[in-house]
Amino acid sequence: MTIALETVPSSRGPSLALRYALREMRGGLSGFYVFVACIALGVMAIAGVGSVAASLSEGLAREGRTLLGGDAAFALIQREAKPDELAWLNARGKVSVAATLRAMAKTSDGRLGLVELKAVDNTYPMLGQLTLAPDMPVSELLAERDGAYGAAADATLLARLDLKVGDRVSIGNATFAIRSVISAEPDKLSGGVGFGPRFLVSEAALRATGALQPGSLVRWTYRVRLPDAGANSPSANALADDARKALPQAGWEIRTRDNASPQLERTITRFTQFLTLVGLAALLVGGVGVANAVKSHIDRRRDVIASFKALGATGRDVFAIYLTQVLVLAGVGSLIGLALGAALPFIIVGLFGSLLPLPVVPAVHPGELALSLLYGLLTALAFGLWPLARVHEVPVAALFRDVASSEGHRPRPRYLAWMALVIALLVAVVVGLAYDKRVAAVFVVSSIVVFGLLRGIASALMALARRLPRPRITMLRLAIANIYRPGALTPSVVMSLGLGLTVLVTITQIDGNLRRQFMAALPEKAPSFFFIDIPSTEADRFSAFLKDKAPQSSVEDVPMLRGRIVSARGVKAEDLKPPPDAEWVLQSDRGLSYTSEVPKGSKVVEGQWWAPDYSGPPLVSFEKKLADGLGLKIGDTVVVNVLGRDISATIGNMRSVDWQSLGINFVLVFSPNTFRGAPHTHIATLTEAHGGDPARDAGLVKAVADAFPMITSVRVREALDAVGSVVTNLTLAIRGASAVTLLSAILVLGGALAAGHRHRVYDAVILKTLGATRARLLGAYALEYLMIGLATAVFGVLAGSVAAWLIVTRLMTLSFVWQAGSAAGVVLAALIVTVGLGLAGTLVALNQKPASVLRNL
Amino acid sequence: MRASPSTAAKEVPYEARMDSIIEASSLAGLGPDTISISNVNLSLGSGAARVHILKDISLRVGQGEAIGLIGPSGSGKSTLLMVMAGLERPDSGEVVLNGTAFNALDEDALARFRGRHVGIVFQSFHLIPTMTALENVAVPLELAGRSDATERATRELTSVGLGARLHHYPTQLSGGEQQRVALARALAPDPAILVADEPTGNLDESTGKQIVDLLFAQHAERGMTLVLVTHDTALAQRCDRVVRLRSGRIETA
Repeated sequence: MTIALETVPSSRGPSLALRYALREMRGGLSGFYVFVACIALGVMAIAGVGSVAASLSEGLAREGRTLLGGDAAFALIQREAKPDELAWLNARGKVSVAATLRAMAKTSDGRLGLVELKAVDNTYPMLGQLTLAPDMPVSELLAERDGAYGAAADATLLARLDLKVGDRVSIGNATFAIRSVISAEPDKLSGGVGFGPRFLVSEAALRATGALQPGSLVRWTYRVRLPDAGANSPSANALADDARKALPQAGWEIRTRDNASPQLERTITRFTQFLTLVGLAALLVGGVGVANAVKSHIDRRRDVIASFKALGATGRDVFAIYLTQVLVLAGVGSLIGLALGAALPFIIVGLFGSLLPLPVVPAVHPGELALSLLYGLLTALAFGLWPLARVHEVPVAALFRDVASSEGHRPRPRYLAWMALVIALLVAVVVGLAYDKRVAAVFVVSSIVVFGLLRGIASALMALARRLPRPRITMLRLAIANIYRPGALTPSVVMSLGLGLTVLVTITQIDGNLRRQFMAALPEKAPSFFFIDIPSTEADRFSAFLKDKAPQSSVEDVPMLRGRIVSARGVKAEDLKPPPDAEWVLQSDRGLSYTSEVPKGSKVVEGQWWAPDYSGPPLVSFEKKLADGLGLKIGDTVVVNVLGRDISATIGNMRSVDWQSLGINFVLVFSPNTFRGAPHTHIATLTEAHGGDPARDAGLVKAVADAFPMITSVRVREALDAVGSVVTNLTLAIRGASAVTLLSAILVLGGALAAGHRHRVYDAVILKTLGATRARLLGAYALEYLMIGLATAVFGVLAGSVAAWLIVTRLMTLSFVWQAGSAAGVVLAALIVTVGLGLAGTLVALNQKPASVLRNL
Repeated sequence: MRASPSTAAKEVPYEARMDSIIEASSLAGLGPDTISISNVNLSLGSGAARVHILKDISLRVGQGEAIGLIGPSGSGKSTLLMVMAGLERPDSGEVVLNGTAFNALDEDALARFRGRHVGIVFQSFHLIPTMTALENVAVPLELAGRSDATERATRELTSVGLGARLHHYPTQLSGGEQQRVALARALAPDPAILVADEPTGNLDESTGKQIVDLLFAQHAERGMTLVLVTHDTALAQRCDRVVRLRSGRIETA
């Protein structure tokens, strides 16, 4: 026996693989269009979402100072700054003060509208531009003249109350002349979503309204413009730190120009992640297209692969050649996607420009693009490696005689290990870079489960077709046989359509539920009205008034204060670092209440409620889920700052709260003795027994305004509409991203069907030669596509509904109602697309002249 | 026992190792034969479809000898050819080519060995359609890491009369020209053994004759061993020896 030892010469490296791969593609990209398009679409979605989000973040960062209205802003709720606090701020820079609150504007003939009142001083705006129509200086706009204070209002208020510039309205005890309409307010974004239109007045006018009662819900914001603030000056943060040290009791919420709108930033980040996952779903659907394309390419190139091997190429050599080809194609697809994605912020700004409510600064973001490229290449590899690995198994004997295909072979361990590595890397990138890692992990696991299930469904469908008794109708027999025969379309169609449908159903179900939540009927027993700023001295009289005016309704009235959590279990709020779904509780001031009884809509789930006459040290009842998020347990101390005082309370019990009831619910409810003597107001709800009636509601609002001019009525329906319009804009973006997934799915399906085209032509010709009519063949094919499409659609609806249910109930913590209509629509669309695309290809096959095909068989 | 090619490759220069292989072959008593096949059996297919194709075949072909393998369809000619070229592994028996026992080689080593020592001409040419004639001929040379692949491929194509067709793609060439490219490709690495499977099967009579003339001319010029599978008895007669197969056994050797 001899020992054979040969070397691999150095020149046979990657360059040879690249050279051969490129030569192999000289025939054009035919057969790879779907591959390239799938990767391009997915990468475009991810790059586009990333680029727009980055452009928006950059816009927010660049405009931070303008959005904030200064280098730093100090916000106080329910109280003005004390003289020493104001003096401290004035010593540091130029200070501009603004106060915001909700109020009722009343026309001379008694029509009422909720407004977001904003009172400013003459320095407003210190930064940016207040755009008015007609234009005028702010001092002139707001000045008191002819017995009325000046004001500017949003156009929506004028439309709602049928007013025009020059008309008068009253708020509380003050009369206002509307002198201009607000077109743009530089610091609007830092304020969050408002329930009513803006009404801009002077500070003196606000005081004249009489709305500034002790405890009324006014937010006072002091903007400080530093004297030497260059763009990158660190002094804004230094000022914030100094303020926290010098005046620890102030309890103000400090923002600097670097985080002018943290809430908005967080919303953008969260939403970007969601859209990125939708984009990734598009890429995964496209991955199926990649796998199909690589598989049929390898099938077509079997002779060439065998020839390479006959000429001395090893299995690894040919694998390297075809791997290089896949990478080159994935690169081409990714580059197309990158170009389109990078252009998206420019296109958006170009098309909508000044109509955008957000400061988008279009730019090319290399980091986002590199990440999208990585996603594109990893997806192509994750899906391409399995079919590619079969290259290694193509026998040279194929050149001498027909040999069974290597389709059933499991790839060698080496390639399986590579696949595992690529998938692990993809998962690491998806989860590692996610804002909410739990959501990303759930996405990854669901995708893997859906892929596994789809594979199982394809096998089950084939096994079922194989076991079915042979029908006597030829057409049906042919259709069933086509489902399970070797090389059947079943696996590729089920995979192509299944994932796309699952994503589509998930999106439509979530969309439908959000719409139902915000735009359809209110939940059973939801209140019709909230009344805020009820002076505590008037609370009883107001309740009695409501019961008298609406005897059929139930009225709930609770005391309310605003306060911020300063620390919990001895840890400062900023160091608590809760998970994302509990972060909100620390982000701004919260409504607080006190009561001797368990609040309605709450249930004590841990610990004991305090006795009605409890008079010991302050106790607090905490909402259970949030307490868990903050790592709190019974007996821990929570410190809240209310009206500039730190109040410490011990957690006495935990409650579960039904937030969806839309009733008055608080995270923190204190024992009654905690706030004894503190000025505060009440909040009340009115729930009508048989739902609202617009005419009666308007009458009630008017009656309240007449009898209690300081109390603000908020119609729940209108507040929900305000949120609903934001939701509508968000769902539009989600639909845009999911349209990419759908397009990908259709492309992949079309590609999968086209791959089977050669077999179809062969079958059609042979069957026609044997006497089958075209109608009969068409019927058989339609039936085959219908059966595969139906099985996949049913799965898609099931899997998508489960995914949507999980997202709606667990992530969004909203109730879920299955949307049968949209599910049926998706099934129908899936069937039309499958049968339509399938038959479109088959018609060509049916029209082939048998003789010309037979000659070439 | 088999040494790992990669570990050994680091220690001993290639030429020295090849010398040792040849020396080892001589010591094993294999003599001057280029091809030595001993007691080879091969079955293909599985289960009920399994067919015993080669039955206890033993054959020796001397250096520079030309043999014609003939026999009816299904007699095992092509399969024997594949076994000789290391494209098919026998179930039992031993194949030694140019002093190297195939049993000792793994799949990759066998592929590299084939690239250097065995040239194959197919009935259906099997040129790579996306490569020009020149690129097709250069493939085995490039795979063997030869830096002069293009020059050598040009020479080979010129020697088969296709010097003016270097940059044509297979679809731009006639059947005869394609087979000449295939022949040039098989000859390019200067193999010790050339195997041809029905090289004229897809060609008309006069083109086929040109190819056969070219084949024998190259055989004579290079002194390599030639194994020719054919249905054509007259063609087989041009070889030094005719081996007739019937039902997987050698009838006349």
